[in-house]
Amino acid sequence: MQIRLDNVGLRFGDRSPLFEGVDLVVESGRFIIIEGASGCGKSSLLRLLNRLHEPTTGQVLIDGAVARASDVIDLRRRAVLVPQTPFAGPGTVRDNLLWPLKFRANRQHLHPTDAALRRHLDSLLLQDVGLEDEARTLSVGQRQRLALMRALLLEPEILLCDEPTAALDTVARTVIEARLESRCAAGCGVVVVTHQGLDVSAEGVLRVRLQADGLQQVGT
Amino acid sequence: MNPVAIGPGQLLLCLLFVGVAGAASVALRLHLERDLLWGTVRAFAQLFLVGYVLDIVFALDRPLLVMAVFVFMVFWAAHAVRGRVRDPQIGVFAPTFVSMVVSYLAVTTVVTAVVVQVDPWWTPQYFIPLGGMIAGNSMNAISVCLERLLTGLRERREAIELALSLGATYREATADLLAEAVRAGMIPSINALMTVGLVSLPGMMTGQILAGVAPVSAVKYQIVVMLMLVASTAIGSVVVAAVVRRRCFTSSQQLILH
Repeated sequence: MQIRLDNVGLRFGDRSPLFEGVDLVVESGRFIIIEGASGCGKSSLLRLLNRLHEPTTGQVLIDGAVARASDVIDLRRRAVLVPQTPFAGPGTVRDNLLWPLKFRANRQHLHPTDAALRRHLDSLLLQDVGLEDEARTLSVGQRQRLALMRALLLEPEILLCDEPTAALDTVARTVIEARLESRCAAGCGVVVVTHQGLDVSAEGVLRVRLQADGLQQVGT
Repeated sequence: MNPVAIGPGQLLLCLLFVGVAGAASVALRLHLERDLLWGTVRAFAQLFLVGYVLDIVFALDRPLLVMAVFVFMVFWAAHAVRGRVRDPQIGVFAPTFVSMVVSYLAVTTVVTAVVVQVDPWWTPQYFIPLGGMIAGNSMNAISVCLERLLTGLRERREAIELALSLGATYREATADLLAEAVRAGMIPSINALMTVGLVSLPGMMTGQILAGVAPVSAVKYQIVVMLMLVASTAIGSVVVAAVVRRRCFTSSQQLILH
């Protein structure tokens, strides 16, 4: 799968543009880290890739086709966004993890067993969290990992993560970074937006900085 | 039993009631005299106007004219909903008006044609008062429902966008909210079913009794009306809420409200 931003700009209302002239190719198996100052539009850029926003200028192409003419649900099913604020809905941890599987677009996914969910939680250092626990009682850091796990259960072709390690300690950060890298190695495209950097060593990682006049490459 | 007709003299006599209220206003310095006078004049004028218009409509007995009166009543009901909801981003008048006309027309027609079995179904004497009661009653339900819906869409923006970003359609992302909004609008008319006859006698039943109809006969009509109001409230709220909700999203399932 490929999502291509072609000379894209975004502006809200009468305000001056957040950014302009952004070119970016996101595709399966590629790891991209987008850095930038707070408020420069990193999260909005990620939302463009998931089409929660439309660009003001330029265009988005999904597998070569103009995004506006393509099926948005299909895109969001395949390119899943993990937002910065880790939302936990009412109900248990299990309810929250299985919630997206209720949507028609995700019905082809098999419901994971409790044992599988347990293994997932453990692998993200959530051994203390029970499947029956009330999700809203979890800490921000725990909810952040829960949100990532919820997205991973959908087996996305592209994973769009907004500050996935912002609320985590060093140990948990390392685990998340390793998990993202292994997903990428397994063929998933990964885009991470961060203001504090991300410590990954995967081959071919593209690091870019978002500025008002576009993306500037800062390293590979 | 024929009702006692009220003559012009008796009507003028009623002005004494306003006089009493006016005297109280002067004595207690309530400064309500002008409002009382204006209110009385308006009540006389508006009601007589409606009375004469209905006299004409009843006399002409034309289906198109009956429908025109029906649409006119619904128009003002939709106008009142707009006044109460008043959203800065989403226009609610057009969807409310169209949905109200369609759903109330359906319910009123079922009541006159199937339940009461009036022939023809549009007989003005039945269709207009029943349609008017539906429009007037479910207006409140729809206002409550829309307010709840639009507030909820803004307050839960984050959760709704998360659902969308995980592959939900806008319908899936807002199903709970829509149900809550419709529920909030419907509760008063269900509560009315619980207390009717205990707290007060409904206006329509009282009117029929005063007009000489036997109480049990009036009760039967009242039951038809109350159940009809529950149905029209439910249908009206669901349709209006669904149409307005649609307007809050783009065709690419993006939430417009902010």
